[in-house]
Amino acid sequence: MDYEYIDCIDAGTRFCPCSLAETGECILCSCLRGEKFCDCINWKGVCIYGEFINNGQKSKNGRESYKCLIENKISRENVFYLKVSVPHSLAGELTYVGSFVFIRNEKFDNYYDTPISILEVNTEEDYIELGIELRGTKTKAIDLSEKELIIRGPYWNGIFGIKKINSLKEKRALIITNGIGIIPAIPLIKKLTENGNHIILISDTSNLDLSYVKSKIKNYNIKEIYLNIFSNGNLTEEFVNILNKYKEDTDLIHVSAQDIIILRISDLISDKSFTCCNNAKMCCGEGGCGACSARFSGHKVKKLCKLQIEPKYLFRERRLI
Amino acid sequence: MVIIGGGWAGCSASITAKKAGADVYLYEKTDMLLGLGNVGGIMRNNGRFTASEELIELGAGDLINICDESSLHKNINFSGHQHANLYNVNIIEPKVRRYLEEIGVNINLIKRAVDVEVKDRKIKGIHFSDGSYMEADVFIETTGSTGPMGNCLRYGNGCCMCILRCPAFGPRISISYRAGIADLQGEREDDVYGAFSGSCELSRESLSDEIIQELNKTGVYTAPLPEEYVNLDKLKTKVCQQYALKEYAENLILLDTGHIKLMTTYFPLDKLRKIPGFENARYIDPYAGGKGNSIRYLSVAPTGNDLRVKGLKNLFCAGEKAGLFVGHTEAICTGALAGHNAVRYYLGIKPLILPRTLAIGDIIAYANDRMKIKQGRRSRYTFAGSNYFERMKELNLYTIDKEIIRDRINKVSLKDVFNQKII
Repeated sequence: MDYEYIDCIDAGTRFCPCSLAETGECILCSCLRGEKFCDCINWKGVCIYGEFINNGQKSKNGRESYKCLIENKISRENVFYLKVSVPHSLAGELTYVGSFVFIRNEKFDNYYDTPISILEVNTEEDYIELGIELRGTKTKAIDLSEKELIIRGPYWNGIFGIKKINSLKEKRALIITNGIGIIPAIPLIKKLTENGNHIILISDTSNLDLSYVKSKIKNYNIKEIYLNIFSNGNLTEEFVNILNKYKEDTDLIHVSAQDIIILRISDLISDKSFTCCNNAKMCCGEGGCGACSARFSGHKVKKLCKLQIEPKYLFRERRLI
Repeated sequence: MVIIGGGWAGCSASITAKKAGADVYLYEKTDMLLGLGNVGGIMRNNGRFTASEELIELGAGDLINICDESSLHKNINFSGHQHANLYNVNIIEPKVRRYLEEIGVNINLIKRAVDVEVKDRKIKGIHFSDGSYMEADVFIETTGSTGPMGNCLRYGNGCCMCILRCPAFGPRISISYRAGIADLQGEREDDVYGAFSGSCELSRESLSDEIIQELNKTGVYTAPLPEEYVNLDKLKTKVCQQYALKEYAENLILLDTGHIKLMTTYFPLDKLRKIPGFENARYIDPYAGGKGNSIRYLSVAPTGNDLRVKGLKNLFCAGEKAGLFVGHTEAICTGALAGHNAVRYYLGIKPLILPRTLAIGDIIAYANDRMKIKQGRRSRYTFAGSNYFERMKELNLYTIDKEIIRDRINKVSLKDVFNQKII
């Protein structure tokens, strides 16, 4: 039976309740949405209303920004990789699948904050590695950074379907990536491997030099297939054949690519357990600014920076204009 | 048949539904049945004796018998109450659970119902918090009206960690509300929603030898309160109006139900420990009984006298869900009727409405009538005391004569009606 369970990625964390509670817009809590009585369908383990009252009817502090040293930079065609020193506490909070941070060149103002997925994190030496595709003004500004970057975090909603991923143990996963989408798939591969899962990676590296990332993948014993996935607005025949070949013997399919590719693939695997990356435009990352809002039929607005939803509900009845 | 909520009402409904011939699936959010019954224990006091015997004659005395067999003290009197039995809360739940298993009820623990699918005013199925879904022909909601945490916070003194254990197992959800039927609320005397649960429990070993000895022997202990602690206003706040007599404000009244039941909503621990015999006192339930207690009566569903929820075709309810009832006996009685009527509905037979010549029939009808008016929403309905027990006496419904009760049931041809297999 189709039923949309919703989840807020920040519920119960040190950032909960957030400013949405102060304006009666909490995603999960009925008492913090102006209702008179508790109707806690989406219990996450903590009474958010209780936390709010106990905090003097105020929200907790949001994420902080840190000035971080760039330790190393590898520049390639259309893409560059950064190794950045971060505070130890921040490193510890970026170990989860789906973690990301907002980064910007310190010479530009905060509108240049760019959400970038974590490629790798090291909590002993306290650094993160990022892979950034050069596309437009924000990413080029970051490329211009010399010594330091402003990093704001931690954020965790980079992937939809996180529960399924974390609970997959000793099963089979098929990971499909396009272009820079391979970056957020690396922590995913690490987690799934740690949980004893067998992984097949189908990747379209497009025109990006992803050799650095590919070298990291060699650390995991997975089957890699590189081919062209998408062309002229459609999935390529070659890819569809390979997908059909592998999808039957798979317990989870993850797609880390543009929305159009996620949508096209989801049509072909509608009966399969399916997760995907979060492509929402983000600015504050905490539900306030509305940049990430997606509209759905029935006047529903979902804030994709915080909401964890099942990928199958991402496009269903979605309003595009 | 799906029954949501494994307290006294849900267990009772399971039994009569099973006897009537249904396939019963009972769902409970915590890891134990009986809910508040695990910290209750008072049976057969005042009019509850009558109701218990009526229920036995009607053919659904199974749980009454289990309570009688599990009693630590029988036929005792305490302030305002006669011939009470006190069952041992430590042994009651496994007994009830095994009985239900024996008769073939499918018990599903740690299953929290969170939403429904409704079509044409009929519930099709229930969604659970673990992602599962269950369809059935007919549903009974016996989720009670206590808490959850958000309500206890807004209308009480906050979560006090009671037996319902919302922080561990998640909050209860009002299924009737999820199905689109607005809940009704009870009010306290001062026009505030909800009422505090009326008692808490202390650890036996934490009380003085003198108190324990008296409790072991007689089942009751009364400790006069120093004048500065007497708070008559607190009586108005509690659910259990039958224990809202002056004696309960001027004294601490303890009952031995396995743990030691303190007949007051809550009592600050530092004050309690100043009373002779209570110097080392410690709360067993709620864990923070010094701070407050759970808030009840915030989600009553509107029902007919057949206990079917108004506005839906196939949802019945019982216990506190069905009205401003207090007590295990009330839950067991309404549960028995709901379980039976749910099966009648499935078969297309007219539901049973118990006549008002029976205490059980009268309390249901009376509570329903009274719920419609503001004054009525400030009262509670229990065979054990307050307005309804007075009414029982006035109408000659109250009796402890089993012959009279037997006749009463025979006169309306309802002997063993709940024992009949109708499928």
